[in-house]
Amino acid sequence: MKTPQPSSPLSHWPAALVWFVGWAVLFALDGRVDLANQALVLVATAAVTALWLPGWGSALAAVAAVAGFNWAFVPPRYSFSVDLKQHALMLVTMLVVVWTVAALVTRQRHLAMLADLQAQREARLRTWADTLRDVPDPRAHAGALQSMLTEASGAPAALLIPDRPGTAADDPAALLVGARDASQRAGLALCLREGRALGPGSGRFEQQTDVYLPLRARGHGLGAVVLPGLGRSAVGDTLVPHLQALCDQMGEALHRWHGEQESQRLHDEARDQATRNALLAAIAHDHRTPLATILGAASSLIEQDGRLGDPQRRRLAQSIADEATRLARLTNNTLQLARLDAPGMQLRCDWESAEELVGAALERARRRDVQQRLVASVEAGLPLLWCDATLLSQLLDNLVDNALKYSPADAPVTISACRTDKGLMLTVRDRGLGVPSAWHERIFEPFWRGDRPAEATQPGAGVGLAVCRAIARVHGAVLRVRARNQGGSAFECLLPIHPQPEPPT
Amino acid sequence: MTVQVLLVEDDRELRETLREALVVEGHRVLAAASLADARALSEHAGRGGADIDIVVLDLALPDGDGEAWLSECRRSRNTPTIVISAGADERRKIRLLDAGADDYLVKPFGIGELLARIRVALRHRGRALAPAVIRWRRGALLVDVAAHRVNRDGHEVHLTPTEFALLARLVRSAGQVVTHRRLLTDVWGADAVEQTQYLRLYMGQLRAKLEDEPAAPRTLLTEPGIGYRIVEGDETD
Repeated sequence: MKTPQPSSPLSHWPAALVWFVGWAVLFALDGRVDLANQALVLVATAAVTALWLPGWGSALAAVAAVAGFNWAFVPPRYSFSVDLKQHALMLVTMLVVVWTVAALVTRQRHLAMLADLQAQREARLRTWADTLRDVPDPRAHAGALQSMLTEASGAPAALLIPDRPGTAADDPAALLVGARDASQRAGLALCLREGRALGPGSGRFEQQTDVYLPLRARGHGLGAVVLPGLGRSAVGDTLVPHLQALCDQMGEALHRWHGEQESQRLHDEARDQATRNALLAAIAHDHRTPLATILGAASSLIEQDGRLGDPQRRRLAQSIADEATRLARLTNNTLQLARLDAPGMQLRCDWESAEELVGAALERARRRDVQQRLVASVEAGLPLLWCDATLLSQLLDNLVDNALKYSPADAPVTISACRTDKGLMLTVRDRGLGVPSAWHERIFEPFWRGDRPAEATQPGAGVGLAVCRAIARVHGAVLRVRARNQGGSAFECLLPIHPQPEPPT
Repeated sequence: MTVQVLLVEDDRELRETLREALVVEGHRVLAAASLADARALSEHAGRGGADIDIVVLDLALPDGDGEAWLSECRRSRNTPTIVISAGADERRKIRLLDAGADDYLVKPFGIGELLARIRVALRHRGRALAPAVIRWRRGALLVDVAAHRVNRDGHEVHLTPTEFALLARLVRSAGQVVTHRRLLTDVWGADAVEQTQYLRLYMGQLRAKLEDEPAAPRTLLTEPGIGYRIVEGDETD
């Protein structure tokens, strides 16, 4: 879109050409037609050239043409004197007619130009409105606004958009496009704060040459624009209202965006709160069961001491120890889950041997598992793993615990490590009830528990597998459950194999 | 033999529970709730009170860090120290073991475990000055450090010099955890402290030669993220 220019030297050449042709015709007709006809040709020529010449140009050309006509054709020829009164009247009439025609044409041309400009501005407003509709962040279009304002006004526009409404203009998060000097920035800040235009034509800081316009919405400034040097030329023109309209579209878009941001924030907050409440409720609930057992057994030991036999006392003490161990494990898992989900979590990785990790898990489980039904099988010559040993131990412990808990007391549980073409696979297999395929993903969700009698009668909080999945995730590993052919489940953790370290020399 | 234990733990319940359990075992217990208490008690012991045989030290104390005090103590005395901590800080645990703590326990722990660790630490008392453990036997496995011989089921087991050095280092601290760093420094030298992969390789080889079931070791135990431990021998000299 180019603003039409009222006149330029280049656009004068058609006028010169027409004048040349007109005069050629006049000389060609000289002596063949009478003077009145020649005069009409001259009037016609002047009228046509007015299409290209500015108003004053047409007027001057008309004077020159009438004078020339007088000199060349009106007797006495080749002099400016006029013999007959009627010739003098004709010359004056010609001048008046030519002037009138020129004035009319010029006016018409000016109106056409204004209409054209108006159409261009309307198109620009429409395009801009379309651009801003549905953009996720209108601030991304600040550059587009700047170049559009520069193009529409001819002044190198600069703009300021703060991060959030109400924040200070010197907030580092504020978006500043194109503002070069401190006085411009101060002007932008003032314009933003007041939410109204400054500079010539605004009634404020009239002596300034720069025009400041706010990006407004609902009467508040959400940003500001400076058009340096636009100055007095813009006063009373329709340009400034047009620029303000463009700015206000941006203001509205920003307002919409801020509204969306705010509602998103409130929504997130509500959801976080709900998640936190659910979590706290789950944790509290899962602590209550072992605590009830501990409290019951302990108070029985205190209050019924004299009436308890040794085996009874032992059993009570044992159940206190068991439940306390469970609580410790639950707390440990919950803590780990929180830690793994925290941003900036750091792993303490080292080269670890799968055989050792499995062996250590086995050793820990055997201290608890009295039936000794845990079996290990580790492929020879496995590559070393680059992992956090404490976390992987916790993963194996949780899987082994689950397997022991949810399978018959005489069924074996195997823990194995082998190499596959995709990585190193740690697997814990049981001959338990199995996991329905509909639950294969859900069992890894925090605090999710199955509702079959097998799960309902077993203590647990649904944290263990969620921790396992989080541990796998931070290692770039995949953890999934697979149904086994003859019943039971296999929990498989596929760990990536890294380039191996230097062996000792 | 009556053992004098200095127990430094700020939580009253845990302190009382541990104190009673230790007293039941026949130990004498000096209980301190803060670093200041611990300092006063150990100074008193130094000025003619009964000697402290072992320190059980909690790390997070109200008036300071147990870690600083540990290194203080280490400079002046060689009292065995067992660190008890809330478990979250692995790195710190390793640093303490490297700095001279004899063993560590993560809260919560059973009293049996604490007693076992104390027993081992006391057995090792003074070992740093005396020659290292010479003979270690557990079931059918015998390690004779002085004679540079390992026997299993009556047959001699051939070990490479590095394997033997590693085994001997573990045997010297039998029953106690030895950190990766300590093992690497003592067996391969200070340049190798980062080369954990050496340990993985040689421990694997040792297990293959010494364990009945290398995938389910019962003698050469792994403490994930910390180090290794050879179980206490039935008979050590």
